[in-house]
Amino acid sequence: MSVGTSVAVRPVLRVDGVAKAFATGPPWHRRRVEVLRGASLQVRPGELVGLVGENGSGKSTLMQIIVGLLARDSGTLVKPERLGYCPQQPLLWEKLTVSEHFELFAQAYHLDQESAAVARDALLGELAFSKYLAYRVEALSGGTRQKLNLALALLHEPQLLLLDEPYAGFDWETYLAFWQLAERRRVGGMGILIVSHLLAERERLTRVYELRDGRCEVVS
Amino acid sequence: MIRTVMFAREPLRAPFTLALLVVVPALFVIAAAGALSDFATALGGSLQADAAVALSAGWAAAFLSGALGFFQAASARGADRRLALAGLGPARVAASRIGATLVLACVAALAAFGALLTRVEVAHPLHAAVAVLAFAVLYVAIGVIVGSLITGPLEGSLVVVFVFLLDAFAGPGMTGGSAPPWAVSQTAAETLIAAGMGVSSPPSDWGTLALVIGAALVIAFAAFVASARNRS
Repeated sequence: MSVGTSVAVRPVLRVDGVAKAFATGPPWHRRRVEVLRGASLQVRPGELVGLVGENGSGKSTLMQIIVGLLARDSGTLVKPERLGYCPQQPLLWEKLTVSEHFELFAQAYHLDQESAAVARDALLGELAFSKYLAYRVEALSGGTRQKLNLALALLHEPQLLLLDEPYAGFDWETYLAFWQLAERRRVGGMGILIVSHLLAERERLTRVYELRDGRCEVVS
Repeated sequence: MIRTVMFAREPLRAPFTLALLVVVPALFVIAAAGALSDFATALGGSLQADAAVALSAGWAAAFLSGALGFFQAASARGADRRLALAGLGPARVAASRIGATLVLACVAALAAFGALLTRVEVAHPLHAAVAVLAFAVLYVAIGVIVGSLITGPLEGSLVVVFVFLLDAFAGPGMTGGSAPPWAVSQTAAETLIAAGMGVSSPPSDWGTLALVIGAALVIAFAAFVASARNRS
């Protein structure tokens, strides 16, 4: 079953022919490993798109190129200004509290205090981790860190949400809550790209790409 | 400002860090300064006892600030880059991160200067204080540059220690010859030695010192920004 298809709407993310190679080995024995060889995909507003592939197929590389953490060798990329990124490994400050993380990201997203507080409280409720607001990250479990990681990506209601293995460490209830949260955002018009080596909930997705030999193919 | 406070507060939440920032420089000045003069004499240098005590305060502030600068830039690199990409921009993150490190380095410099005052009578305490602070700021910049280029904690801290050793052993008073170009803290050391020996440094020395510190901070800022920039 396909959900949320809206072909006439302009894509919120368009990746065309993106290539990326890495040089490995010592300088006297350099090898060039081509990870992406013209990967293309697109996500429209209101679409929940999956990107799957084997370990080492280049999914996270493509995600990092889209976000701006890595430079691409060639190809074009069109993305919106308001973008949310939830990395595979939670990128957080160990000694800062959950509340301080929200404060820093609210500044980065240029949110005023009131709207930042409203968005923060809604996310804390949705992901059920309000009681950890004053906790330092170092005191959080892996699953709660991942909730914070996800909540920070959503704080400014982005036009495009990029999720790299977003539910690693989630318990079953949080996993279900995550899909409900994603579905609500999708219905609200957000474009969502989920990268995972294993996508069990394919019926929830508008389209699934598989990254194989450095290229994206639509598989469902 | 809020970001700088948060980034400065972060390492201080490890209680041992604050203790190290205060105790290590003080102990170094109190315990190591005497040996430093003998060591300089053995190397063919001319470092007198009071000058050695003064210089030890600068070095104590320097090596702690270098380590701080490195770990501030390297250990939070992933989260800092995420914040920069989220919309804050690399320049503002760099300013907050370097600002926070400078605040922490001031604590180390203050502890070193306090210990110096307990050891010897400094004829120009204000000059000595500025020179100790100059050591700290210079090494914050060196630490941040290394931390922006190297993420590995072992590799990075070894590079900072290597720069420090090259600088310290080639500095004024330590050897018989003139200081080589890699003695980056040469002007700060000369100013501090002069203050320790009761001599006032000429304005040109202060100008050179300001220039060296300013250039080091600009390079550190640029290195941090380059490491956190958007690559799209």
